[in-house]
Amino acid sequence: MAEAGILLKLRSVSKSYGATAILHSIDLDVHDGEFITILGPSGSGKTTILRLIGGFTQPSGGQILLDGNDIAAMPINRRPFNTVFQDYALFPHLTVEANVGYGLAVRGTPRAETAKRVADALELVQLSHLGKRFPAQLSGGQRQRVALARAIICRPRLILLDEPLAALDVELRRHMQTFLKSIQTEIRTTFLFVTHDQEEAIAMADRICVMSAGRIEQIGSPHEVYYRPGTEFVAKFFGENNLIPGTLGPVDGATRSIDTAVGRLVCAIDGQPQIAALPAGSPALAVFRPEAVGIGEAAEGENRIAARIDQVAFGGASTMVNTAAVYQPQQVLKARLPSRPDGTSLSQGETVRLVVPSSACRLVPA
Amino acid sequence: MSERAAPAGPSALAPWLATIAAYVVPLGFVLAPMALFLVYSFFSVDHGSIVFSPTIANYVRFFTDPVFLPIFWRTCLLCFTVALLCVLFAFPVAYFLTTLRGRSRYMLLVLLLVPLLMSYVIKIYAVRSILGGNGMLNRALLATGLIDKPSMLFVFNLNAVLLTLTVLLIPFAVLPIFLSLERIPKALRHASADLGATNAQTFWRVTVPLSLPGTLSAMSFVFVLAIGDFLTPQMVGGQSGFTFGRIIYSQFGTAFNWPFGAALSVILAAVVILAIRLGGRLESKHGGAK
Repeated sequence: MAEAGILLKLRSVSKSYGATAILHSIDLDVHDGEFITILGPSGSGKTTILRLIGGFTQPSGGQILLDGNDIAAMPINRRPFNTVFQDYALFPHLTVEANVGYGLAVRGTPRAETAKRVADALELVQLSHLGKRFPAQLSGGQRQRVALARAIICRPRLILLDEPLAALDVELRRHMQTFLKSIQTEIRTTFLFVTHDQEEAIAMADRICVMSAGRIEQIGSPHEVYYRPGTEFVAKFFGENNLIPGTLGPVDGATRSIDTAVGRLVCAIDGQPQIAALPAGSPALAVFRPEAVGIGEAAEGENRIAARIDQVAFGGASTMVNTAAVYQPQQVLKARLPSRPDGTSLSQGETVRLVVPSSACRLVPA
Repeated sequence: MSERAAPAGPSALAPWLATIAAYVVPLGFVLAPMALFLVYSFFSVDHGSIVFSPTIANYVRFFTDPVFLPIFWRTCLLCFTVALLCVLFAFPVAYFLTTLRGRSRYMLLVLLLVPLLMSYVIKIYAVRSILGGNGMLNRALLATGLIDKPSMLFVFNLNAVLLTLTVLLIPFAVLPIFLSLERIPKALRHASADLGATNAQTFWRVTVPLSLPGTLSAMSFVFVLAIGDFLTPQMVGGQSGFTFGRIIYSQFGTAFNWPFGAALSVILAAVVILAIRLGGRLESKHGGAK
């Protein structure tokens, strides 16, 4: 029954409180050893998925399969998973060592072994020198690492992380992202990480599961969800995408055209059979990232859009240019261009030709 | 505009009036009488009238007279036992209360607090009618055949005082324990279970230690209330149930030796302050780890 490489399977899992549905029929596979991130705005149901897997709440329908067995009714303390809680949930009356060793102590692990494994875990998270302190005497980043050490010490098959970096400042968060990723590589345990921060998700995950309003929008590698959004929501969620509405034209091999108010655009559809399958004439959106946009002469296989420059914002390495399409002035188009060292820049009101390679232009259903 | 607006709004007098009220009330009605007691404890009595010349004779009498110290210790022990019993009974109640939600929790809380609204004397009478030689407890024991004649084990003695104080003070212990249990984040219990602990392990390793501050303050609270009580021992203690509170009462009432009564009160106050400080100290030590 158990499939090789798949640790946990969610099959049409739903959750509702009274008449309010939080999750609608979720299907999700967690692969063995991967770092999977569940990403979504607050209220999208991402934390509910984590709580269902951890056993803190029960699904209203569907199955959660571990090695092919439904664990929906398994009590929290029997599940081979450990959680890093959002506010760390360290025991305030216990020292760092006792916190980390808690999972071993309740299982009656011999004292000598516990001491050794606690020491190892603390060394792994680089906190060996703080073992005798109490949680109140630690900084946020240190507490975070204690929570991580406490979760990994029982050698769980899956570690659930509930927005563990949300309370940290930007600098520390970056540092912890790298740190978490390196720990995960070192102990080769599956991590399921919940966050609302796209950058965090992209920086750490092997796979990202994007959620919105209790449904999965897209599952894929960071590169996929970033450059090949499957839905309008995903396209909008990852930063400043350009979206142009239109109607689909015919498929031509690995590309498909779309007729929009700014002209006909040719977009790549490789790896997206669902887009190829849409009938011609369906409404859709052309999506491309500002950094894919160039200004000047178009070569073969590139889309051209005439636009008038509205605003030029120098941002260091790159310059953000906001333009309005000449044939559709309400259509805002953004281009992120490499800054010119000589200081010359585009001027407001100038009409330019935006160039978007077909390979960087994607389609999502409207 | 602003001149007219000033007295209309929160009056300009209010800030310093409030300050005076805040200081005068406790100073005038609490601290001053206590200071007066302290002063009186250094006077003496001669043929029923107070001699206003300083002496430490009252304190010397307390520490040298063979009557007072044993009663003092016995009272401390009694009240400590009462505090311990109250906490033991109150803890399960408070724990049960935290498991309830909404209306049923509110109802139980109100039921627990109703006795606090009743007259203390009436409650003592009620307990007395249960404990007496011909009381409900004895009659029940006789009816079940456990004893063949009324037991005098809890009739007008220290045991009766112990039982009565415990019964009457349990509500005071429930509240602090309930509040400290309430304050334990649910995430900690989840974390404990997540790490493999059974419910019993979570209870002993997380819930009990974290409720210790509330439990200790409940204990010191009950102890202080019990040790200051003279009415309960007076009404259910009989001849043998003599406590420190009754001695103080008799000094002011029957013996009419106010300075000695004041000295005993000062000693009692010292014990009370010590108990509160001890409870507070332990509480901050355990709470400080948060």
